Amino acid sequence: MADSDPIIRLRHVERSYTRGGEILPVLQGLDLEMEAGAFYALMGPSGSGKTTMLNLIGGLDSPDAGEVIVAGEHVDLLRGAELSHWRAEHVGFVFQGFNLLPVLTARENVELPLQLTPLSRSQRRAQAERALTLVGLADRMTHRPAQLSGGQEQRVAIARAIATDPSIILADEPTGDLDRRTAEQILDLMQRLNRELGKTILMVTHDPVAAEFADRVIHLDKGRLGRIDHNHEPRRISAEAAADVG
Amino acid sequence: MSPRLILKNLLAHPLRSILTLGSVALAVFLVCMLQAVVTALSSATSAASSQRLWVQSAVSLFVDLPLSYESKIAGVAGVETVCKFQWFGGEYRDGGSFFAQFGVDADTFGPAYPELDVVDGSYDAFAGRRDGCLVGQALADQYGWKVGQTVPIIGRIFPRVDGSAWDFVIQGIYRAKTTAVDERTLYFHFDYLREAIEQGAVRMEPGVGVYLVDLRDGAEPTAVMSAIDALFENGPQRVQTTTEAEFARQFVTMLGSVPVLLRSIGGAVLFAIFFAILNTMLMAARERTRDLGVLKALGFTDRWVFVGLTVESLLLCVLGGAIGIAVAFVLSLGVAKAIASFVPGFEIAGESVALGMGLSIALGLVAGCVPAWNASRLKPVAALRAED
Repeated sequence: MADSDPIIRLRHVERSYTRGGEILPVLQGLDLEMEAGAFYALMGPSGSGKTTMLNLIGGLDSPDAGEVIVAGEHVDLLRGAELSHWRAEHVGFVFQGFNLLPVLTARENVELPLQLTPLSRSQRRAQAERALTLVGLADRMTHRPAQLSGGQEQRVAIARAIATDPSIILADEPTGDLDRRTAEQILDLMQRLNRELGKTILMVTHDPVAAEFADRVIHLDKGRLGRIDHNHEPRRISAEAAADVG
Repeated sequence: MSPRLILKNLLAHPLRSILTLGSVALAVFLVCMLQAVVTALSSATSAASSQRLWVQSAVSLFVDLPLSYESKIAGVAGVETVCKFQWFGGEYRDGGSFFAQFGVDADTFGPAYPELDVVDGSYDAFAGRRDGCLVGQALADQYGWKVGQTVPIIGRIFPRVDGSAWDFVIQGIYRAKTTAVDERTLYFHFDYLREAIEQGAVRMEPGVGVYLVDLRDGAEPTAVMSAIDALFENGPQRVQTTTEAEFARQFVTMLGSVPVLLRSIGGAVLFAIFFAILNTMLMAARERTRDLGVLKALGFTDRWVFVGLTVESLLLCVLGGAIGIAVAFVLSLGVAKAIASFVPGFEIAGESVALGMGLSIALGLVAGCVPAWNASRLKPVAALRAED
């Protein structure tokens, strides 16, 4: 893939769901390109197709029509194990409800995706510890999700998303369950991942303040691309929230 | 799915895991015990000799044959000796202790049973004393009997008119060289019983339960059996002659198809437990639907998920099975002693262990495969939407 090529390209993507015998079109011929190394926020009213688009890009769902090309791969053509392997290599997910496995410690949760790599056990452990240190949880490695705050849980989820060093991070309402101050800390962390590690981030959000942390804001409306806003000066973490991080 | 995750999932609900483990352990324990009984019954049959014949009434084993048959059977070509065998069915210590007692002919019984090894006292001493008896080592050990001691037995089939016990004086203690003979039997003189009947001490008609026929070397059992049966074709009592092996087999069958019954019970228990485990595994997989969706989103394949859930079920069942087998093995040592009179040779043998372990594995695989298959087919998006 040439540097100038978009890392994510959607061409005439259509996706509909059947509910109660009725067909509900969600994405209707969506065309979109996203640059590598940028931080995108994806906004739109409920039912506009934000999460559906995120799932298609992440290979969690398949389009009814059109092409989904991510990191040079036609994701829409991949199936089964091939798709799983691709996901493990290229995409990291961050969910609104954190989705950590409750029976595992923070470190074990972060180690999970590393089990799909050829790393040895000690290498996996070291890598997981590095990722947790990066998100500021070096002192919470052996804690279980139930022993962590919401913000800490989301940090663990972010550490898990970056553990395998994927090029793309897909975040679905990552701050939706957090208070404002904690949300800012998470957004700041995502900004740093984007700027310092060069990760391409696509974040679905309802929150205009959260969207201000991104470089660009994509607006979806009824399954179609509305407009793309450029934040020339993305918002930064407030002094108050930064002080909390310590 | 990693071994650590499988283990942690099992430990996440300790009570549920313990109960499932316990139900598998109980099922496998029962199957092992029942199988051990079936094996013991079969082994007694297989160890029986084909060179000894048993002549019984063609009507039933419980119908006695006339005493006069002895000399007629002895005259058949190929017959070496004939020994009368009479089930006594008495009780020792007010019916609290059961063991078999047989009245036999001392002069022919010993030579016909070389498997019988008298280790204390002597066979000659037994043969020389009319109220003497031979007892098995296991019986002697259980009751602390010594040679020379008198064993009082209350006759239930042959009660004395005055209500007193039959006194048998131990003249020898034997050990069995094969499982065809068990060590929990008391043998006494048939003539001791017959004389008592003839003297009016017992109000019964004299008769013989079965005749034991020892064949001459080289004699053809089938021909001798046919000849004996033909001899009494026209009565007064028709007989049925079989080899000892066949006799033992028929005896086991007469117990009311016990092996079939035992296997049916074991099968029913397993069937019930299977559904309990299947339900547990389905529940475990269903409540982890979102976790499974996360694993799939992270890149774990459907196969990983399938194998992980199957291994989880397999681990639970194999562990439960191992516990069941271990408990069965420990308890069998005590049970073997308690039921030695009815089921000699009872033990948790390799066959029972293999059956128990095989069933545990099958149970784990089948109960695990169903939820694992469902989970592997889950679409990640749908799984991630699942409610907690």
